[in-house]
Amino acid sequence: MFTDREILATLEMLKNEHLDVRTVTLGISLLDCADQDAAGFCRRIYDKICEVARDLVRVCDEVGLQYGIPVVNKRIAVSPIAVAACAFSSLQMTAVAQTMDAAARATGVDFIGGFGALVEKGLTRGDRALIEAIPEALAATQRVCSSVNVASTNAGINMDAVYLMGKTIKHATELTAHADGIAATKLCVFANIPPDIPFMAGAYLGVGEPDAVINVGVSGPGVVKNAIDRARAANPAADLGHLSEIIKRTAFKVTRVGELIGRQVARQLNVPFGVVDLSLAPTPNVGDSVGEIFQSLGLKSIGVPGSTAVLALLNDAVKKGGIFASSYVGGLSGAFIPVSEDLNIGEAAARGHLSLAKLEALTSVCSVGLDMVVLPGDTSAETLAAIIADEMAIGMINAKATAARLIPVPGKKAGEKAFFGGLLGEATIIPAATLAGADAFIRLGGRIPAAVQSFGN
Amino acid sequence: MKKMVITVLGRDRPGIIAAVSKTLCESQCNIEDVNQTTLQTEFVGIFIAAAPDGLSENQLRTRLQERLTPMELAVVLKPMQEAGDWVAPTSEPFVITTLGPDRLGLVAGITEILARFEINITKLRAVFRGGSDPHRNIMIYEVDVPVAIDRRAFRTALQERAAELGLDISLQHRDIFETIHRV
Repeated sequence: MFTDREILATLEMLKNEHLDVRTVTLGISLLDCADQDAAGFCRRIYDKICEVARDLVRVCDEVGLQYGIPVVNKRIAVSPIAVAACAFSSLQMTAVAQTMDAAARATGVDFIGGFGALVEKGLTRGDRALIEAIPEALAATQRVCSSVNVASTNAGINMDAVYLMGKTIKHATELTAHADGIAATKLCVFANIPPDIPFMAGAYLGVGEPDAVINVGVSGPGVVKNAIDRARAANPAADLGHLSEIIKRTAFKVTRVGELIGRQVARQLNVPFGVVDLSLAPTPNVGDSVGEIFQSLGLKSIGVPGSTAVLALLNDAVKKGGIFASSYVGGLSGAFIPVSEDLNIGEAAARGHLSLAKLEALTSVCSVGLDMVVLPGDTSAETLAAIIADEMAIGMINAKATAARLIPVPGKKAGEKAFFGGLLGEATIIPAATLAGADAFIRLGGRIPAAVQSFGN
Repeated sequence: MKKMVITVLGRDRPGIIAAVSKTLCESQCNIEDVNQTTLQTEFVGIFIAAAPDGLSENQLRTRLQERLTPMELAVVLKPMQEAGDWVAPTSEPFVITTLGPDRLGLVAGITEILARFEINITKLRAVFRGGSDPHRNIMIYEVDVPVAIDRRAFRTALQERAAELGLDISLQHRDIFETIHRV
């Protein structure tokens, strides 16, 4: 028997605070589809994906209906294609991406991730072929996402791969210049990529994972913001210790929802349950924003001084609440600050409150890094690589996952807007006058050695 | 020993449970189960008591009435049936909430659908929180939905009826409330 308050609080979260399960992602291993013949490989992966994911969308919808909690996105993450298809040429890799796209369409999922490579210490022939294929593959498909891990705490930063990714991003945006370079919105460059991320564009199925697995990404920035607002209204003297406790409790509730839905979906699909990713993931809707939480905690806007401290508090409180709520936590698990996908963050960048430098500082205390940052179209591959290198350094030194999802918008300048539509949103291009000047450094190449793990200051 | 069901109804005040339980105790009736609730000013209590073999239904009724009628309390007593005709089917617990302006026939309208699908209500309460705001008028039904029924048809029928009545309705498995609020 429940109290009225418990039932009404749940309804409030659902109806007015955008509580939902952001994504249920089915990981599918493609390593058993290995074939010398590219057409044979494509046939096998298509059949396997369609077979394993046949009921994913239906089951997610039914479970969502049963509990009254919408599962907003259903997605698939596969083994890194550079591993599963390492014998193929870049042309053949593009065909693999098109097959993944077709399988995603057939199963009704909105994204399929895993068209990626793990190259933090060096590149195989397959890795090179895959990275070479990324621009064409992402331009020729709608639902395929790609992530490339170029750095880790144990391996250092593969600067050759960083430079390669700078060029790859540039090329991908050029191939989709008609759509503001949308191909680059489906491409993440990582340090310390977790093997079980449910969120795109980073999702892939790590090589240590089971044949199939359900990973869940929860949401709930609106729920957290409203909980803070209510606590402050009820007790104007509430200090940051009290408010972090409120965030913790709220994260607990949000995470429990994800765990319940994930386990039910996994049970009905007869697939093991993997992890809940505790990230607060925003959407481009008012009331579903991570940026608004900064304002609820007394800042004029995300980006002003104090923002890094607020994000540190928020990220830590979310983890503390979430870890208690779920038996298995994984993925990125931290607040997301995707510029174009969060209305409030996008506006802060447009008004000049949030610079690229401040965004980078913020990523040192949260996941997932420089996410959906739109840059002027004339940003060079070398400058992109340098921005990526900085982000990778934060990840390597701090032993955390960080990523860069950068979109230099072809033909557009700082202050103009880029439009990607849907969850990807829109954003004003961040001024980049001071961005150039790293060309010679980037061309040095090589690998930045792994950082020392003791003497941690 | 036989079991009696005793229901007591009247204006709430201190001493009602004391009066009933004293009478039962004096009659050697052991209370096996008891629950009470109050709505606005009115109290209702239900007792299940084991009565000794020598005590008739009428004797116990008379003793209760002698003590409770002067307190302006109505009492209903009946022997408990050991097993009813109705056997609960295998069910799953759901919570239905309706939200919308108060008007005649809301509960009748919703419960007609529940009865049609053989859905048992385990708890029902009105949460009139709105006062002047009709949109804050909320009803909460905790129900057992038999696993054998066509759940899709039930959901559709419920939603159609809610729309006719001008209500926002939600139907959720109770695990979601358990999960969110209980450790």
